[in-house]
This record gives sequence, structure tokens and C-alpha cells, in this order.
Amino acid sequence: MLEACVIATILCGFIGIIFKENLVIKIISMDIMSTGVIAYYILIAARDGLHTPIISDRPNLDYADPVPQAVILTAIVIGLSIQALMLVGVMKLARNNPTLETKVIEDSVTK
Amino acid sequence: MINNITLIWLATPFFIGFVIYLFPKLDRFLSLGVAIFSLAYAVLIFSDRESWNLQLLDSFGITLTIDELSGFFILTNALVTIAVILYCWGNNRTTPQDNAGFNHFFYMQMIILHGSVNATFICVDFISLYVALEVISIAAFLLIAYPRTDKSIWVGLRYLFISNVAMLFYLIGAVLVYQAHNSFNYAGLQGSPPEAVAFIFLGLLVKGGIFVSGLWLPLTHSESQSPVSAMLSGVVVKAGVYPMVRCALMLEDIDPIVRFFGVATAVLGVCFAVFEKDTKRMLAFHTVSQLGFVLAAPIVGGFYALTHGLVKSALFLITGILPSRNFKQLQQQPMTTNIWIALAIASFSISGFPLLSGFGAKVLTSKNLLPWQVIGMNLAALGTAISFAKFIFLPHKQQKEVKEAKLSWGFWLAMAVLLGGLIAANIFYYQAYTLANTIKPLATIALGWIAYLLIFKKLVIKLPRDYEQFDHLIGVMSLILILLFWIVWTRSPVLI
Repeated sequence: MLEACVIATILCGFIGIIFKENLVIKIISMDIMSTGVIAYYILIAARDGLHTPIISDRPNLDYADPVPQAVILTAIVIGLSIQALMLVGVMKLARNNPTLETKVIEDSVTK
Repeated sequence: MINNITLIWLATPFFIGFVIYLFPKLDRFLSLGVAIFSLAYAVLIFSDRESWNLQLLDSFGITLTIDELSGFFILTNALVTIAVILYCWGNNRTTPQDNAGFNHFFYMQMIILHGSVNATFICVDFISLYVALEVISIAAFLLIAYPRTDKSIWVGLRYLFISNVAMLFYLIGAVLVYQAHNSFNYAGLQGSPPEAVAFIFLGLLVKGGIFVSGLWLPLTHSESQSPVSAMLSGVVVKAGVYPMVRCALMLEDIDPIVRFFGVATAVLGVCFAVFEKDTKRMLAFHTVSQLGFVLAAPIVGGFYALTHGLVKSALFLITGILPSRNFKQLQQQPMTTNIWIALAIASFSISGFPLLSGFGAKVLTSKNLLPWQVIGMNLAALGTAISFAKFIFLPHKQQKEVKEAKLSWGFWLAMAVLLGGLIAANIFYYQAYTLANTIKPLATIALGWIAYLLIFKKLVIKLPRDYEQFDHLIGVMSLILILLFWIVWTRSPVLI
């Protein structure tokens, strides 16, 4: 059930990237997609248990797997920086193309 | 000892990259130093001839493998970077509005790009690869957008967007591999569910510019400045190709998939290249095709990647100084003979003419093809000869008759590195020079020239460019995903 929700989130983001005209909304869709991917990592990390993996006196707890969580942290940071960079690019483009529709930008630029 | 050298070599470009920003005056010297360090490291790999395996931290840590295959890719990267730095040497950007020059920011990005490309050539786990590929995206975006015009920003933005979406799919694949094996190592692709392989390969196909998902590449590579195009076409796309070659060598199940995409992209790319009327776009389409040769015979892919990297960056640097980008205009406007000679050497090498290492690479690749690949690859080789006949048959004149700005010594030094490398690389496979081997490439070139002079020179067909629109490129990813899934699924023995 949770897995289906996560995959639906990824798909929503992907469809948004294709069908939305506005460049900013496309970037937000990409963010939704990456949120889905991050959630998927967390879901897989938690499939064996939910407890924080810290050594303590209490025996035999079901630990969450720390590796996917550690890995996805890197991906979050990279995703954030790429989005920041993209939005700066969009700001620059917005000066001459106030509507920010990709088709319009593409036509004006490739001629 | 080797471990320490490797780690220092891996970290130097990033460290020096930031040092350049602190000492802007030293930019060119520092970046040239880093590239020469890479060259020395590649020589060290070849002199040892053994593969080094590094396991950093614990069992979940980073794994690195360095062998001759990585050696070839690292050597390509080092030579191309040196040539590009030499090419840019004389042009300083003095004012912020000056678009032709290059300042310390440019060198900083280039050296960081160099370092991250190196990192992809030695890592063997999916997460290190992910990080390296994303750093490549960012650095390449900054280089593409360097002139700060609307056009360059849009081209860079498009590149960043497409590669980031592809890398999100790749991340899903990586976690599926982890779920199956509790490890991110490349070896985990064996025995992972088919969707994992499909997701990961989608990411790599897009990053490497392979087959239909590589159609973002022509616009990006042709609209960047010449040195940036040379870096992108010469080495950066190979960062996506190398992991596929590595996986194909490690795992038998993956090998046929990689070979299939190799043939498909070789034929597709060359079909576009033959009809193209613009020099830089033709070269970019041709890159799509040549990457197919690297993938078609993974075991010898390293050598092909080296020759292609040298040739393609040389060609991009030369087209950057030609008076026009249109073949029609170039036919009316003769260039100087010196430039034409450089252009012809590069074109001959890529068509597979003996004495240049492109010949050895072509022979070696064709010896390692499977029977079903042969027809497709021969067609692609013929197409290569046709498209480069366009360059070889351009008119040229002596220096005195042509009024042109004198070329800097940096350009000729860059050419010396790249074209000299092409001749020197013959030592890797001198066994190719037998009579039987020589006849086939010569016949291919002759056929290609005849076809060019009789048919393609007069042909005016303009292929539509709709498939290069942004939305279509993203949409095609979903189609390729289904195709990949189907290929992997029908081959997988578990599900039958």
C-alpha cells in the first residue's frame, strides 16, 4: 500500500514534467518526483523495523537499515543544489521571456 | 602505496579547483598541472598491467577498481583536458561582457569536471557513480551556460533537467539492487529484479547519449563554445558509457543488452549525421554513433574510446575556428591549407584510414563483434566515411591568398597533443597492420567517398527537428524504460 503511494508520487511528478507548460512548474514537478524517490529509499530502509540503529542494552530490537538513509542524504543535498542552480537559470531567462513557457523559449532560442 | 596515490589523484582536481578560485592568476598553470598528473597516473596504470582493487571503509563503503580499461578512459580524459587548456591559453576574459575569453571560473569548472569524470572511470558501486555523475551535470551546466546568453542558459538548463530526471530513475534502480543484495556493487545487477536493471540502464543511456534517449546531445554539443563541446563530446559522454562497458564485462547477462544498444545507436546516429548540413551538429550526431562502437564490443571499448575522444575533440576545436558552420558556405569559402591538413588527418583517422590509430580501433572492434552485429556496424562504418568526406573534400588555399586572423600557438599545440596522440596510440595495437585487415577499411572509405560525391553532395533533405523538443525527450524516456524492461524481462530465466 505504502509502496503504491510512493510510486504514484513519482509518476505524478514525471507526468507533471511532461505536461506542464511553465518552466517553474516543471521544476516543482521534478521536486515532487525526487520526493517520491527519497520516500522510496526510506520505505526500503524501514522494511525490517523502525528502531534507530543505536547499540544499547535492550536486546533484539528490529532495526531500520541505516545504509539507504545515509545514501539518500547525499541525493537530497545534490537535488537541492541542482534545483537552486536551475532556479537561478530560470530567473535569468525570465527577464526576456516573462511567461516562462518552454515552447516559447525553445522557439525564440533555437532560431 | 598505490592506494594513497589513487586517493591523492582523485582528490587533487577538486582541491585545486577551489584553490584556483583563491589564486585567479595561476588558473591555467594549476589546471594544466592537474591534467598532467592524470596523464602520469594513466601511464602508471599501463606500466603495471594489473588491476587494483580498493575497498575503502567497511563492507558498505566505496569500492574502486582500476585496470587497463579505466586506464584508456583516464588517458583520454587527461589528453583532451590538456588540449582544451592549451587551446584556451591565449584567450583571457578581461571584461565580464567579453564572450570569447575564459577566466578563472571557467578553468575551475573545467578542472572539477575533469576530476568527476575521472571518478566515474574507477568506481564500481552505484552510489559513488551517482555522486560523480551529478557533479558532472552541475559542472557541465556551468560550462555550457558560461557565455550567459539566453540561448546558452536554456541549452544548459535543458541538459541539467534531462540528466537529473534520468538520474532520479537511476536512483530507484540503485535501491532495488540494494534491496536484492544488501550492497550497491555493480555485481549486484546479476540476480536483481528486471525493473532494477531497466531503471539503472535508463539513467546510463541518457547520460551517455545512447540511442533515442541520446537525442538531447546534438543541440547541447553544437550550441556550446568549441572548447566546451570538445570536453563534452570527447570525455563527458563517456562517463555514462563506461559503467555500461564495465557491467557488460563483469556480468554475462548484461553483455547482449549493451551490444544491442551499441549497434542501434551506431546506426541511428550515423543516419542523422549523413544528412546534416551543419558542421557542429554533424559532429554531435556522429558522437552518438561512435559511442555505439564503444558499446558494440565492450572488451575493446577502452581503445575505441581513446581514439574517438582524441579525434572528436580535435574536430570540435577545428570547426570552432572555421569561418562558417554551414557546409554550403564552406564549399565557397576556402580555408588555409594548414587547417585543412589538421582537419583531414582527424577525418581520415575516424574513417579508419591506416597509419592512424582509428584504423587499429576499427579493426579491433570488428574482430570482437558477434555475427548478428556485423551488418549494422559495417553500415555505420560506411556512414562514417560518407559524413567525413564532407570535411575532406572542402576547398583550401595557401596562407597568402586567404585573409584570416592568425591563429594562436595554443591552437597548434592542442592539435599537436591530439593528433600526435592519434599517431602514438598505434602502439597499443600494432598487430592490426596486415594486408587482410587493411583492405576492408580502404574499401569502406572508397565506397563512402563515391557515395558522397555521386549522391549525398547534391542531396538536400532536411530532417525534422521535432524529436529534439524538451517534452519529447522526457517522454521518450518512458518509452525506453518500457523497451528496456521488456528486453531484460524476456531474457530473465527466473520468470519463465
